[in-house]
Amino acid sequence: MSLNYQAVGWNRQKKIYDRTMVLGVLLYLGLFIGITATTNPTATAETLMIRGFGTAALLLLHIILAIGPLARLNPMFLPLLYNRRHMGVTMFVLALAHAVLAMIQFHAGGDQFPLISLFTSNGDYSSVSQFPFQPLGFFALAILFFMAATSHDFWLANLTAPTWKRLHMMVYVAYFLLIGHVVLGVLQAESSPFLAGVLGLGAAVVWGLHLTSAWLEKADDEEGNGEGFVDVCAVEDIPEKRARIVCLSGERVAVFKYDGKVSAISNVCRHQNGPLGEGKVVDGCVTCPWHGYQYRPHDGASPPPFTEKVPTFRVKVSEGRVLVDPRPLAPGTAVEPAVIAENAAEELSS
Amino acid sequence: MLVQVVTLFVAGLGIYAAIGILFAFYFVSLGCGKLDPMAKQGTIGFRILIFPASAALWPLLALRLARGRQTPPIERNAHRDAAGGGA
Ligand code: FES
Repeated sequence: MSLNYQAVGWNRQKKIYDRTMVLGVLLYLGLFIGITATTNPTATAETLMIRGFGTAALLLLHIILAIGPLARLNPMFLPLLYNRRHMGVTMFVLALAHAVLAMIQFHAGGDQFPLISLFTSNGDYSSVSQFPFQPLGFFALAILFFMAATSHDFWLANLTAPTWKRLHMMVYVAYFLLIGHVVLGVLQAESSPFLAGVLGLGAAVVWGLHLTSAWLEKADDEEGNGEGFVDVCAVEDIPEKRARIVCLSGERVAVFKYDGKVSAISNVCRHQNGPLGEGKVVDGCVTCPWHGYQYRPHDGASPPPFTEKVPTFRVKVSEGRVLVDPRPLAPGTAVEPAVIAENAAEELSS
Repeated sequence: MLVQVVTLFVAGLGIYAAIGILFAFYFVSLGCGKLDPMAKQGTIGFRILIFPASAALWPLLALRLARGRQTPPIERNAHRDAAGGGA
């Protein structure tokens, strides 16, 4: 399958997503600036904007970090995941606005070049409570820049997904740098137990979700590396024209149910490693949720004239259970789909 | 001492960025199509969006261009390794 790169692959859902996100950000900024201006009338417009952009970016970062585990805990959140990259870019733009304004406010107009002044105006690097918090923000912003700049599909393909994912895992480093940046900044400026409480709550939510989803996922994964078929789930656990994802032979397998049959293919899309098991069977083909590449469920091959192929797996259905041979077959190998027995199919449709 | 170290760091960053920006003009117009056939017909918007990372990752991209890569690398994963063969 071949597509030419475009700037942004917008569709109806993504437009709604982006509009909602931008409205949410504007609403937050309006509320934050309005409330802070009334409760703290001495704050200047620059200060209000610096804090507004900074806290908006931090809030978005928490949302971004929560979406992954939420989507694993409940598929209802999957739509939030598909456009998460736009949220990441928005967060970077907000963080950049915060940084530029802060640079102008605190470091421009002196005898030193602003970036040098950022690192040297507070040289107390050996202190804990007085440690300069601005360089932490600078390094976090640099990481967010790399993530936002490489968010286009072109980079996913050309850096390859593992490198791209490693780069984007740096978001956790950025998160810790930002927590340090905010905690030190707040501590050194004022001591507000309210802000410390909000930060603590945010951290508890993000890490609580990560730990819960990791724990549940581990319990869910069938580990079959050896010979023989592995019982992966009951037939009725798989919704019609959808898949159940299980981990076999070190990678995920998507087990699809469609038209009274069951087939299993590797979960990893040939295009850019999209999760095939989160897609649907459309017109008889498994359709990748990311960019719509299609594969026939029985042989893992794209319909002609396309040539992409993914590995397939032997499947059996016995007494309402789905059994998969964990040994992957070469990409494109045809496998007879397992037929769901008549009475079982009737039971399911009733 | 601190000022000297920081000045060196900032100067290095400036030089890296300046080379990167020059390289990125070439990369988004011609270079990207040499690494990835899908980028040959890429829209103007696409080229603008890949500009910042082209500037930031210039050593890596220059190396790939110098090696004459013509398609994005094919990924490996546990299933492909175990099954062997096939696009
Ligand atoms: S990852 Fe692009 S279509 Fe599957």
